[in-house]
Amino acid sequence: MHLRQNSTGRWRSLQGRSDVVSRVRAWMMIVGICTTTLFLSGCKWQFGWGYNQGYAPEQPLPFNHELHVGLHKIQCLYCHNQAERSPNASIPALSTCMNCHLLVKAESPFIQKLREASDKGESIPWVKVHMLPDHVKFSHSAHLAKGVNCEVCHGQVEKMIVLKQDSDLSMGWCINCHREPKYNAPLNCSTCHH
Amino acid sequence: MSEINKDIVQKQTQPEALQPEALQPEALQPEALQPEALQPAQFGYWKSLAQWNQDSEFQKAAAQEFQSSPLREEELTEEDRDGGWARREFLKLMGASLAMASTACIRRPVQKIVPYNKAVEEITFGLPNYYTSSYFDGAESLGLLVKTREGRPIKIDGNPKHPLNGGASSTRAQGSILSLYDPERLHGPRKISSGTAVETTWAEADASIVAQLQKGGVVVLTGALNSPATTALVKEFTQGFKAKHVQYEALSSEEIREGQKASYGDEAVPFYHFEKAKIIVSVDADFLGTWLAPTAFTRQFAAGRKDPATMNKLVSFDSNYSLTGANADIRVKIKPSQQVDVVMGLAHEIVVKKGASKFAAQSSVKSALAAFAETPTKLGISHELFSRLAEDLWKHKGQSLIVAGGLVTQTEAAKDLQVAVNFLNSVLENDGATVDGRSGFSGLKASTKAIFELIEEMKKGSVKTLVIHGVNPNYTLPSAAGFREAVKNVGMIISSSDRVDETGTVSSYVLPDNHPMESWGDAEIIDGVYTIQQPTIRPMYDTRSFQLSLMTWAKIAKVGGKRISSSDSYYDYVQAIWKDEIYSQVAKAAAKGTNKAAGFESFWDQALQTGVVDLGKQTKSSPARTFKLDALNSVKAKSASGLELVLYPTVNLGDGRFANISWLQELPDPVSKICWDNFAAVSLATAEKLQLKEKTLVELVIGGRSVKIPLYIQPGLHNDVVTVAIGYGRTAAGKIANNVGVNAFDFAKIEKGALIASGLIVELKPTQEAYKLACVAGNATMEGRKIVAEATLTEYLKEKGANNHRHKTFSIWSGHQYNGNKWGMAVDLNSCTGCSACMIACQAENNIPVVGKKYVLQGREMHWMRVDRYYVGNPENAEAVFQPVMCQQCDNAPCETVCPVLATVHSSEGLNDMTYNRCVGTRYCSNNCPYKVRRFNWFNFTGPVEKPLNLQYNPDVTVRPRGVMEKCTFCVHRIKAARNQSRLENRELKEGDIQTACEQVCPAKAIIFGDLNDPESRVAKIFKEEPRAYGLLEEFNAAPAVRYLTKIRNNDQEKRFPGTEGASHNKGGHA
Repeated sequence: MHLRQNSTGRWRSLQGRSDVVSRVRAWMMIVGICTTTLFLSGCKWQFGWGYNQGYAPEQPLPFNHELHVGLHKIQCLYCHNQAERSPNASIPALSTCMNCHLLVKAESPFIQKLREASDKGESIPWVKVHMLPDHVKFSHSAHLAKGVNCEVCHGQVEKMIVLKQDSDLSMGWCINCHREPKYNAPLNCSTCHH
Repeated sequence: MSEINKDIVQKQTQPEALQPEALQPEALQPEALQPEALQPAQFGYWKSLAQWNQDSEFQKAAAQEFQSSPLREEELTEEDRDGGWARREFLKLMGASLAMASTACIRRPVQKIVPYNKAVEEITFGLPNYYTSSYFDGAESLGLLVKTREGRPIKIDGNPKHPLNGGASSTRAQGSILSLYDPERLHGPRKISSGTAVETTWAEADASIVAQLQKGGVVVLTGALNSPATTALVKEFTQGFKAKHVQYEALSSEEIREGQKASYGDEAVPFYHFEKAKIIVSVDADFLGTWLAPTAFTRQFAAGRKDPATMNKLVSFDSNYSLTGANADIRVKIKPSQQVDVVMGLAHEIVVKKGASKFAAQSSVKSALAAFAETPTKLGISHELFSRLAEDLWKHKGQSLIVAGGLVTQTEAAKDLQVAVNFLNSVLENDGATVDGRSGFSGLKASTKAIFELIEEMKKGSVKTLVIHGVNPNYTLPSAAGFREAVKNVGMIISSSDRVDETGTVSSYVLPDNHPMESWGDAEIIDGVYTIQQPTIRPMYDTRSFQLSLMTWAKIAKVGGKRISSSDSYYDYVQAIWKDEIYSQVAKAAAKGTNKAAGFESFWDQALQTGVVDLGKQTKSSPARTFKLDALNSVKAKSASGLELVLYPTVNLGDGRFANISWLQELPDPVSKICWDNFAAVSLATAEKLQLKEKTLVELVIGGRSVKIPLYIQPGLHNDVVTVAIGYGRTAAGKIANNVGVNAFDFAKIEKGALIASGLIVELKPTQEAYKLACVAGNATMEGRKIVAEATLTEYLKEKGANNHRHKTFSIWSGHQYNGNKWGMAVDLNSCTGCSACMIACQAENNIPVVGKKYVLQGREMHWMRVDRYYVGNPENAEAVFQPVMCQQCDNAPCETVCPVLATVHSSEGLNDMTYNRCVGTRYCSNNCPYKVRRFNWFNFTGPVEKPLNLQYNPDVTVRPRGVMEKCTFCVHRIKAARNQSRLENRELKEGDIQTACEQVCPAKAIIFGDLNDPESRVAKIFKEEPRAYGLLEEFNAAPAVRYLTKIRNNDQEKRFPGTEGASHNKGGHA
């Protein structure tokens, strides 16, 4: 075996053993090296592991973006109205939902649950879909001001019955856009990390 | 030969380029100031006596780049060896965490978003809100602008629209935000029975308190009240219960009021106009650090120094090495018993010797001054200097200012000193010009004499109930005052402190007051300048404001006036007072003009929005008052011998009420640069004479008692003086402050019903006990290079760039291109007073951890910004220079080239970006940084922060974990926020959009930040045109983006460093 020929000391002592055992060992070693290399060689090689692309958790109420955005054509900024002003797009307050749902579909069991929470002064614990690490500072308002549409990052939300994470939100994905000359976007570390 | 080659040749032939001759030893001081016994140090500037002496230990330390290393055996303590991080353990854990990371990174933990139930109108998630408010610490009052995020206050700044402090604020005001989130605040009312605090309810407490109040014999003991509403409420309450009101502060201005009364007849603390004074003489009044309103005074003082050509002159006669003394153009060391001599001596020079002023003809004046003819001899200074000073003062009559006051002047002759100061101000026609006696700090009415009377009454048993608010007499009174014995005769003591403090332990009830940031209130900062104290957060715990407690008790007992019964809350009460007392004045003034005043509602809203109502009493000229000559009769010359004790408040802790704020404890004292301790400071000669050694405890013997206290040798102190800071030695303040230092209040003496804190004769005895003080002045020395540059005014007037030699540098590459903005900063050393407010502002803004005394001793403090203090001259008469040093954001940054993982790289705007999540902690960058501004997280300082202190964190700045390098970012998150805002408004960034935290807080406006690519910006102009501007270690060609402006000394001397012409620096490698 290749390894045995090139090796010294310990390997030579294996010569007496059966060829099968040493072959298995060699393969194990190769697999081990490959796995370690994969883990250590940066995130791109991990087939998207660690990124939540496609993450579509079940929500406490089955809010349907397809219905609201796709069918009824409600603007994103009607509910996520702080996105234009603030780094955070924010999930709307229950009072925003109740603007319509006081009347619309008031009989639906889900809306009744919403209404109950709203009347009691409680809130709905939505499950966060788009998560950035704490050391990444992203600003919705800066991107909107530059004319980047919501779907560039969030995908076709109007077709999502259950909201899912469309992009992998990796640093490489961010940088790919920032590098494009047409956007003239900054590429400094401190643009996102400070 | 090409231009570049020429430079190379010149550089090679000029090796002394790195050893400026202007700083050579023989050139340091005029010979008269060089005592023979002392050999000059090798450097002009020095940081500690160890360096001055060329101590072998110091030399060893200076050769080391860093103060400590985890691997250096001698640095390890027992604790480190046993319980510290061993390398092997660390590797083991590393292995484990790697294994965990590789299995757990597939799906991150589920996070929840819980939106508001009803959208909050004012809150935009992710953006800050600002609210005006006010701050008062018993002496200083400030108008504030409080930054809140998602409903929690995270940073305190000065209100830019405020006439006194502008956008600036003090170290203590900045730090007071941590007292809101102090984990040791009480969560509800407590009943104290036999020394232990038991939970109780408000209703229960109210019932028993009202029953007690109705028995009579009630005294309300408060701190100084500058709030019109609280003053009125306490008055109404005391009338209702037939109670007495006593105002007491440990740092009162009583002596000033007494002096004013004796001299002019009106008893008020006047307002001072330092900005109008061309020459200022301060006799132990630390107006730049701790006296009255230091933030406002620093602002005024610095305004008078912005243009060096017309700058003011500060002469300080200093018993302690105060911040004011450190900033003086001429500093004369004195001892407390000489304070009166200084002022009367100057008066003698002017009135008797020169025969000047309207008092010259009066024989009574002459006879009163006769005893002070030999003052210069007594002070040990030259007659020439003294008469020149008198000459200067007279030349600037009406434009000069004499001030004295504060704890350091609380000698037996405290009132006489004030009378003398008033007399000299009247002689110089300053009264009515630079001293505004008719409208001043009218809220400062606290008195120490009143509390001694109260204690007498308590001893007699005539006080049945004592309600205490805002003061801590059990800590701030010396035990000789007998407070602790007197409380035993009082039926019930109610303390409104936010914790069971020293006074709380002897009380019956501790009813926690709201934090000022949780409560409505108001303040009259100086006459006619009103501010509303606006809450910025709901009360975090079951607390109730002191004022509401008074109202509740009055209502239950059905006493008190109409306002109490008609107000449901203290907010209503404040509004009622404002309507009746302040709005009525505004309306009256408006009625005189053509404008009709708006209604009260809109007046109130506007007052809340701007944060200040200024009735303009200050702008009206105040006529000079007549000095009552009889007052001079009591002013007598004194002579004293022996070591005199000086008690002084520090810039960081003041009277100790904020002692449990870790930021303030770790903030090094501006002059001594020592944190986490107080100490007895003596001069070098005294230490040698008494065989006292640094790093040991000494025994301070005072009035038959002796206390052990660490010794520090302070350059520039009078040989007959021992100084000790107050504010330390708390016993019931909390985990941080308890048993840090020694309670120096206890050294004060009570004589004839007055507190004597200064000039007491003490003895010092050596002991063999070792004790280390944590001093951050460390081993970062100038090593003969030009780090700070100074010139005298004479030199400056001859040549604006005096003593500021330039270096021609060249680079073998073309350098970075900055096409958009290029950020730069300028620091004016002539304005900077070293007050260190910038350090705390930076700490608050950037989530910088506190490391504690143990790690400060190892040089591991985390402050991104430091204020270096260098002494110049010999230890007998050392002068001081301050220099704030933050990351210099070099264009050719040495840190960037050595980072193996590209965690620190150059941005397109000239910043050295530091990416924490990329840093692996090699610390190469810190090794290669010539300015030593990088800080390494040796331990997880931020992780274990006790809740709710984490609420103060600024969400815009990453909280850094262990093993990561960090440093000043030029507040890059503020740059980003301002840019986002400008984009939303569809415009370019303009000058003034971005203020770094240090720039914003600076009362002296010494720090200027801006865009170097904007030719109109202030920084660009300084970089291009200002002859005083220089970069640190220019010759290394790191091309820093910070420029310092030389400090100018207005000290009548020809040359800052006589004997050198600086000639060699105009050739060779220098441009």
